[in-house]
Amino acid sequence: MRKALSLVVLLVLALGLASALRGPSIGAEANRGELLDDQKVNFGRRYNSRAVEETGASNVVASVLVTYRGLDTLGEVTVLFVAALGLAVLLHTGRDRKSGKEAEAPSLIVFTGCRFVFPLILLFGAYIFVHGHLTPGGGFQGGAVVASGFLLIYLGCRGRQPDRQRLNAVESLSGVAFVVIGLIGLAVGGSFLLNFLPKGSPYALLSAGIIPVVYVFIGFKVGCELGGIVADLSGARR
Amino acid sequence: MVNPILLIAVPLGLGFIIPLLGLIWEKPTRYVPAAAMVFNLAASLLLLPKVLQRPWVVETAGLPPPFSIHLVAGPLGVGLSLLIALVGLLVAIYAIGYVREGPVAKYHSLYLFLLTGATGMVLTADLFNLFVFFEILCISSYALVAYHGDRAGTESSAKYLIQGAIGSSLVLIGIGFVYGLFGTLSMADIARNIDSVSPMKLFLPMAFLITGFGVEAAVLPLNAWLPDAHSSAPSSISAILSGIAIKAGLYAVARVLFTIYGADTIALLVLVIGILTLLVGEMSAFSQNNIKRLLAYSSIGQIGLIVFALGLASALGVQGALFLVVSHALAKSLLFLSVGYMIYRTGSMEISSLYGMGRRMPVSALCFTIGAFSLVGLPPFIGFPAKFTVIMAALERADPLFTALVGVVLVGTVVEGAYFFRIVQGLHFRPPPESATPARADQEEAPVSALVPICLLAALIVAVGVYPSVLTHYLGPAARDLLDKAAYIHHVLGP
Repeated sequence: MRKALSLVVLLVLALGLASALRGPSIGAEANRGELLDDQKVNFGRRYNSRAVEETGASNVVASVLVTYRGLDTLGEVTVLFVAALGLAVLLHTGRDRKSGKEAEAPSLIVFTGCRFVFPLILLFGAYIFVHGHLTPGGGFQGGAVVASGFLLIYLGCRGRQPDRQRLNAVESLSGVAFVVIGLIGLAVGGSFLLNFLPKGSPYALLSAGIIPVVYVFIGFKVGCELGGIVADLSGARR
Repeated sequence: MVNPILLIAVPLGLGFIIPLLGLIWEKPTRYVPAAAMVFNLAASLLLLPKVLQRPWVVETAGLPPPFSIHLVAGPLGVGLSLLIALVGLLVAIYAIGYVREGPVAKYHSLYLFLLTGATGMVLTADLFNLFVFFEILCISSYALVAYHGDRAGTESSAKYLIQGAIGSSLVLIGIGFVYGLFGTLSMADIARNIDSVSPMKLFLPMAFLITGFGVEAAVLPLNAWLPDAHSSAPSSISAILSGIAIKAGLYAVARVLFTIYGADTIALLVLVIGILTLLVGEMSAFSQNNIKRLLAYSSIGQIGLIVFALGLASALGVQGALFLVVSHALAKSLLFLSVGYMIYRTGSMEISSLYGMGRRMPVSALCFTIGAFSLVGLPPFIGFPAKFTVIMAALERADPLFTALVGVVLVGTVVEGAYFFRIVQGLHFRPPPESATPARADQEEAPVSALVPICLLAALIVAVGVYPSVLTHYLGPAARDLLDKAAYIHHVLGP
């Protein structure tokens, strides 16, 4: 009975999948011509043609992420924050589990190598999120690179840990800053996450208004969050 | 005038501040969620009269819809955010005294994010934004279910996480298909163009969306996580999960069904799923010995009734469904809250160990009784007009099939009555079990921070039960907000 039922469900799903994928399914609205008002529908075409002019960011992805779908990005940042917080709650058992044996100290070569590479990784991460509005990349990617630096510290320089409380503070502050930027837009122009700073000339580092500012905060936040997750999972508690 | 986006932005910002505050001084963090909900309550109350005249379409980033994310603060959205703020505030007050152990600041932060997610879900008019807020809601509830860090909590949280994650993935795939088909994510814009795509192509994305959101809404085949999660979470979290989180999932299903899809074609299927959920939930609740599991199964039963009312797809039916949403949110959070300290005092969730609590904790037991009677649908409480509206809506169809279904609903209510009366009788008229600790009069009743929200909820249940017109005045426009697709499109996109 159960097998027959699951077979039927699978069959229906397969039929649905087949019919959904038959013919063009991505970008299909372009082929329906008269039925759709070209000016009103199709986000992609509009963003590609107008984004630089409307937001001042030469990287269209950045303008979509921070301007057109800024509220989603704020939400995604929150999702990550909630996930990191939830992990910390799960790992908080009240008692510190001290493992019996101390971790073996890393060799001098590994230790020195890590100390040499770590600032470079941070620099590269910062470069990626600072230039998010100009080149591919952005806050999330830059933050992930920064966090990989923390991971390297954990792997290569045992005994040295980033200060957990400072990570948490930066994480929360960046989140608050993102919301505050949105609220300033609301106060200045009556619209949440409005790009209230001057747009400048495209392709310049100081352009695109709030986009680089928001990206810097996202970069800090994601870097500290993922770094904190690494620290949580490695059992370091400060 | 308050901009509706503040209903999301203010709790979100405060949610980020709580961990920061916790680093400096942990004590005041427990008041922050209550403060945020006071703001939301006041703002929703201010907005409600205005949006009843005309929904407020809020753009973000200074661009008109559909090109940026927009919110629609209509009667339904603001009404539900009012309900979320009200229940959220009362549960937050309860939690001030109830949550004492573990990472307290993190609890309050996650709790506030959970409420923010729910508020965002009911206000947004963008399909992907709905998903983002849905994720905030779900992920914070996974973590909160495991807050105690005991075996049962962690296990049920893992179960919830796995099922919820599958549901979320389905939603995401569904949104991907929808975006591919329409090139837009605005719900009004999709709804306007829904006829330009063949129903065969729409079947899969819609099935994915409804199944995915349905996991959180706990409709029949998708609710295996619920009894475990709701029973092993801290009582304040059980209250908010049963009272608010399920309703948010249900709202998402209803929005997709009514506003985007136009539900007429599958209304009968919805109706049948609702009836089955109702029967299975009530039957399972009947055979429980654990009080919190019983309440959790009873939530499934009530959700079934709400889905049944939505499946009627008439103005009165949806109105009844919304009435039930309000009545269940109030009554079920009252039940979980009042039972929280009884469990704390006896140290057991077995129903038999709660016998005689009427004498040891008279106020909590009285309020529990009010909540239970309201859920069953006895007259002076809010449950009665709610269930009555649903049954009127079903009989309105004047169809023998619907009359028979009303019979089934009433059977469900009888079962519900049977198990609730059994508990109420035990609470008040049975002697306490012999193993119970001798009563020490000074610390038996729940503390004031718990009694205030419990008594307020009970008072609300009685007040609305006696004067249902204060609520029905708003439910009609809210039901139209959900059903009237053309008006929704018109408000968002203009003529």
